[in-house]
Amino acid sequence: MNMTQSEPTPVLPLILPLGDRGLLVRFGEALSDEANRAAIALAGHIEAAAIPDVLEVVPNLISVLVRYEPARLTFERLAGEIRLLASAGDDRQSAGAEHRVAVRFDGEDLESVAGLLGLSVGDFLRAHNVAPLRVLATGFAPGFIYCGLHPETLVVPRRNVVRRQVPAGTVLFAAGQTAITSTAIPTGWHVLGHTGFRNFDPAAEPPTRVRAGDRVAFEAAP
Amino acid sequence: MDRAAFERAGGWLGAAGTTGIEFTTAGIGFVADASVSMAVDGGAFELSIDGEAKSWPSRALLKAGAVVDIRPGSLGNYGYLRFDRQIEVPLVMGSRATSSIAGIGGFEGRALKAGDVLALGATLPRGRGQHPTQAALADGPIRVIWGIHADRFSNAIRQRFVTDEFVVSPQLDRMGVRLADPLQVFADAAILSLVSDAVAPGDIQILGDGTPIVLMRDHQPTGGYPRIATVISADIDRFAQVRPGAPVRFEPVTVAHAQGLKP
Repeated sequence: MNMTQSEPTPVLPLILPLGDRGLLVRFGEALSDEANRAAIALAGHIEAAAIPDVLEVVPNLISVLVRYEPARLTFERLAGEIRLLASAGDDRQSAGAEHRVAVRFDGEDLESVAGLLGLSVGDFLRAHNVAPLRVLATGFAPGFIYCGLHPETLVVPRRNVVRRQVPAGTVLFAAGQTAITSTAIPTGWHVLGHTGFRNFDPAAEPPTRVRAGDRVAFEAAP
Repeated sequence: MDRAAFERAGGWLGAAGTTGIEFTTAGIGFVADASVSMAVDGGAFELSIDGEAKSWPSRALLKAGAVVDIRPGSLGNYGYLRFDRQIEVPLVMGSRATSSIAGIGGFEGRALKAGDVLALGATLPRGRGQHPTQAALADGPIRVIWGIHADRFSNAIRQRFVTDEFVVSPQLDRMGVRLADPLQVFADAAILSLVSDAVAPGDIQILGDGTPIVLMRDHQPTGGYPRIATVISADIDRFAQVRPGAPVRFEPVTVAHAQGLKP
């Protein structure tokens, strides 16, 4: 048999039960751009496959949650279908929407973040806003958006102290990511600023408009 | 929290729409402004109507002006009150349920408080109601499926997790139930930080200080603490009713076994 070497073997994700009504497909153990892209792409393929009795497909940072109806679909059968979709190794994803987010960079942690990175506030903001970021995941709180990944030169750890509450529209920064809140939440991330951009309206259908894989362009509000 | 009890209360009426009121061991009291049928179930509470003690679970036709008082009884953390009418609250994202954590849905997105007035819809077309009877009390260990991070724990810790006893702590709400770990099963479970991942109801996460928390119906959608196991669907209602101070043990089962069980 003639084995060609040109096609790299796709890295197969781990498929795990998450309780008796959920299945989790996880790409590795660490957050990387590659694992995140693979998770978002696979979520798209599972949605497109329209497997009967799959109730919900949710991409996370490095995994995909698939909720299913166990009375009609077993874990083994679903895992088999997903293994086939994953082994295609197709990490192309549909081009997401681009969102422009105007930010008042007036956050209480802006100067300390720039200081941690050894940059002036102006240089930090130029580096931060230089290119659109990818939406890595949504969720955690209603409408919450994780964007990234920043290069290693822009990575700071979370704060040691959790703020009890920041309002909707707070722009947060930590762990190589920039996040936007759409509801008031407690957070250990650094506050860079505030925006009028909202990604949660319970009266709208759907209530959120940003999807994992979209791009977000941050710019200083005039 | 106890979906089977919510369903049973509706079953006693024959028709209760999709709505009901969940109450805790704080109890609940109300006055019926008009004649209405009600049913109650879940745990074992003390019910009185116009000062007269009634059995539990119960169904009753309330006259206009009837005073209903429900106080904690011998069993359970949650009880359910339903009517032969829909409770009129707005439909939010396809649901009339309340998320008090997000402040969305139900009655102003919050728990009811003294003085609130609830509107009820028209009487629902009646199905065949059943005479209320006490549900059989299941006991034995709470059954779990090994969790998405079970492999991060040592064999010794996994073994002790399914043999040692834990105790339900007083820190419980719709989001999660903290367990006391008197035998220190998780005292030395040092786990490196994990990437946030999807959470399912029943997931048992272990905090950095070794405290186990069983995540319940209003759990956060994602979490970064390691999860050793997930309570199976058939046992979540029963676990929700275990009172603070009571012991609890866990038993691992397969996914296929869990899926073959009825709640």
